[in-house]
Amino acid sequence: MQRFFLLLVLLLPATGFAQLEFSDAWIKNLPAAVPVRAGYLTIHNPRSRAVSIVALHSEAFASVEIHQTRMQDGMMRMDPVPNMTIAPGATVHLAPGGLHLMLMQPAQPTRPGEVRRITIEFDDGSMQTLELTVRK
Amino acid sequence: MNKSSIAIVAVLALAGGFAMSWIISSGKPIELEAGTWFGDQARALPEYELLDHNNQTLSRASLHGKWNLIFFGYTHCPDICPSSLQTLSDMVAVIEDPDVADALRVYFVSVDPERDKPEVLASYVGYFNPAFTGATAQMDKLKPLTRSLGIAHGIRNRVEGNPVYDVDHSAAIVLVNPKGEYAGLFGAPHDAVAMARDMTRIVEHN
Repeated sequence: MQRFFLLLVLLLPATGFAQLEFSDAWIKNLPAAVPVRAGYLTIHNPRSRAVSIVALHSEAFASVEIHQTRMQDGMMRMDPVPNMTIAPGATVHLAPGGLHLMLMQPAQPTRPGEVRRITIEFDDGSMQTLELTVRK
Repeated sequence: MNKSSIAIVAVLALAGGFAMSWIISSGKPIELEAGTWFGDQARALPEYELLDHNNQTLSRASLHGKWNLIFFGYTHCPDICPSSLQTLSDMVAVIEDPDVADALRVYFVSVDPERDKPEVLASYVGYFNPAFTGATAQMDKLKPLTRSLGIAHGIRNRVEGNPVYDVDHSAAIVLVNPKGEYAGLFGAPHDAVAMARDMTRIVEHN
C-alpha cells in the first residue's frame, strides 16, 4: 500500500500537471505586402485529462487564433476554432490544409530562419510559451 | 439463359461498345494521375478581361500559345493558397524536359480584387516563382470567367469599413490549352510530382 502511494505521488506530476509537448513548430513565410501568416505545430498532451486552449498571445502579431481550413460547397473556407480541446494522451497536428495558427498583422516583416514566440493559455489557467521558426 | 443474364450480357456489350468507340474516336486517351482531362471535349471560354500584376490586360488571347495552369485564391489566405502556389512552383521545378516546362504558364487569379492590387499580387506571386503571373478584376468582370470554369468563390463576414473578412474559394487548378479552351482540372489536394508527370504527358501528347 505504501509503495502504491509512493508510485501515485511520483506519477501525479507526470500525468496530471505535465507540460504539453510542442514539436515541429514553424511559420510559413510570405512577402511583407501580405499581413497574415499561418503557423503549424504538433501538440501532444501527456496528461491524464483533457486540456483546452482558451487564448493565444504574441508580441509579434496583433492577434493569434486557431483556424481550420475545410471544404464546404466545393469551396475552401477558414473558420476559427475557439477552445480547441486535446484529449488525454492525444496528439494534434496543425498542418497545411487543416488546422493552423492564424497569425495576423506581424509587428515586423518575417524572414526565413527567424523565430517568433507565442504564448498559449490553457483552461486550467496555466500558460506555455513556444518558439516557431519562420520557413521559406 | 435467364432474363437477368441476358440483361448483364446486354449491359456488358453496350459498355464495351462505348469503350471501343471512345478509344477509336479519341485516339489515345490520356489518363491523368492527379486530375481530370477533358482533352478532346475542351470547351471554349467567353471573352474576359483581367489586369495582371504588371498592369497589363489579361484576356482570352493572352492565354494562346501555351498550356496555362490557373489557381484562384487571394493573398490574405495564409494556408491553402501558399501551399498550392508552392506546389505549382515545385511542379515546374521537377519537370525534367525543358521543352515541357517552357510550354507551361502559371497564373494566380485573385478573387479578392479589393485588397489584391497589382503591386500586392506582384510581390505575392513573385515570392513563389518570378515566372508566375498574378491577375484580378472587379467582380463583374471576374465572374464570367470563374463561372464558365465552374470555380466557386464568395466573400463572407464583410462589414463596411473593416478590412478583415473571409474569402471562400475553390482550391482546384484549372488547365487552359494553347487555344485558350478549358481542357482540364486538378482537384485539391495537389501533388507536385504527379502534376508534373501529368503535364509532361499532356504536352508531349499534343
